[in-house]
Amino acid sequence: MAISDKDFEQLRDFIYNICGMYFHSTKKYFLESRLGRRMEACGVKTHSDYYQLLRSPRGADEMKFLMDEITTNETYFFRNVPQLAALENKLLPELVETKNKMGFKKLRIWSAGSSSGEEAYTMAMILLEKRSTLLKDWIIEIIGTDINETVISQAKEGVFNSYSVRNVPDVYKRKYIREENGRFILSPEVKKFVTFNKLNLYDDSKMIFMKSFDFIFCANVLIYFDTASKSKVVQHFYNNLQPYGYFFVGQSESLHGVNDKFKTVHFPGGFAYKK
Amino acid sequence: MDKSELMQKAMQLVEKIDDLPTIPVIATQVLQLLDQPDVKLEEVADLILTDQVMTARVMKMINSPVYKPGSEITSLKRALVFLGMRHIREIALTTSFIDAFDQNSGAVGINTFWEHSFGVGMVSKIMAQKVGYSDLEKAYIAGIMHDLGEVVLSQFMRDEFIKVLESIKGRLVKLVEAEADILGTTHCEMGVCMARKWNFPEVYCDVMLNHHTPVDASVDPVLCAIVNLSDLFCGVRGLNYDGMEWISFNLQDEPAWKILKQQCPKLVEMDVERFCYEIDDAIPDVKDLVASIFNKK
Repeated sequence: MAISDKDFEQLRDFIYNICGMYFHSTKKYFLESRLGRRMEACGVKTHSDYYQLLRSPRGADEMKFLMDEITTNETYFFRNVPQLAALENKLLPELVETKNKMGFKKLRIWSAGSSSGEEAYTMAMILLEKRSTLLKDWIIEIIGTDINETVISQAKEGVFNSYSVRNVPDVYKRKYIREENGRFILSPEVKKFVTFNKLNLYDDSKMIFMKSFDFIFCANVLIYFDTASKSKVVQHFYNNLQPYGYFFVGQSESLHGVNDKFKTVHFPGGFAYKK
Repeated sequence: MDKSELMQKAMQLVEKIDDLPTIPVIATQVLQLLDQPDVKLEEVADLILTDQVMTARVMKMINSPVYKPGSEITSLKRALVFLGMRHIREIALTTSFIDAFDQNSGAVGINTFWEHSFGVGMVSKIMAQKVGYSDLEKAYIAGIMHDLGEVVLSQFMRDEFIKVLESIKGRLVKLVEAEADILGTTHCEMGVCMARKWNFPEVYCDVMLNHHTPVDASVDPVLCAIVNLSDLFCGVRGLNYDGMEWISFNLQDEPAWKILKQQCPKLVEMDVERFCYEIDDAIPDVKDLVASIFNKK
């Protein structure tokens, strides 16, 4: 069933207010098809009735099912291109300059909610390319954390499917990824830069030890948290970020109303947070 | 170089341009009519209707997704009612201006120029709403007109302006600074000189002059701050004269943001992230609008 502009805007606002994820107009048809599945499962005929259902006492449970439909747990390499371009062209060179002045040639990066490791390894590849230039003689530490041990094992293994590597630019693919019977194996050169650990972002006793990061990524994780938990976790990110560092969330995510200390830095195609 | 020198130079340069477009007769008549007390909307509509081009442009601007009328407006009179009497003056000037500068003979492509201008107009309007600035149409028109001087430079000082554009390629230098260095003036002063010739209301002249220096704005600093920030946002949304600079900015450290923080209590409620996503959504609308205005077929 085709969704009207009014229904789309209403549902988009509702989803945004609950989880902080914005559906761009270009994703209207995606939302329409996913809503269709949930409407059928609930026996609801119109989008407006489904909206009423979400607002009813049964809404919280239904919202979980809807979230499963509209989010995807699969991740892939080079997912957020504008973010990576900003990092490479502007934010990283500026940060390197700042730290060079301080005589502190060490870069620490955290991929929080790293899943099977694509985001952390993407950073490793980008930085590896700069080992003989911008990052010559620098120590690079990339840490991926996730609550799920299965995905951590996958990340450590460093073997991916074709979906995961479909966005990897050829120049990186040739150097760092080897195909073997339809599986894509990451080179040890990239793997050695990244360590993966189990971590629950709710666990205050562990979170306080995740110190002094220059870049923190937490994409498509916070959308599953309620506002109070989000605030708590984001405060940890804030505390653990260097004063000149940057914190990145997913492509359509928002921390509005979650933390009022972070400032926004805007770059072509997106934004990041800074202290 | 101080601002009075930049202005002096701009005045000299504008005087030297022989074929500078003059305000169309019909627009002058509309403005004269609007100056009369107790003027009726019907009279203004009748006068505009005598000029098909102006009528068509007004109708296109009104029916654009930027204005979002509930349903399509098909009569000029209804369009004027929708705009409100106080904005007919600006619309008459803006449409005349678009008409005067629709030739693709400048250093910057005309579509590129107008996409930036309408982009800043649209973002200014959205931002005005978010910060509680009462006159959304004024914000829209101020945004559209802010870079008037850029199109004057592009079309009437083409060779000199190409040198300016060449000089910033691949360098992190702002266009406005390169203009001051090479031309001895900038698009801000050039815009004002042109706008004054056309008798644009002073509030728009102030925005043209100070959209890169909002702390110097004297007539309506909030409006100027809105246009300044919208200009920055369009710069990071692909509406930056084909991305001539690799830019980033810290919003909360911008002087314009500080002006809004002081003068717009509603700013504290503003959801900056959502605002960015709404801009993303509106960019295709801006491109469609510009294509529809400049598509002559």
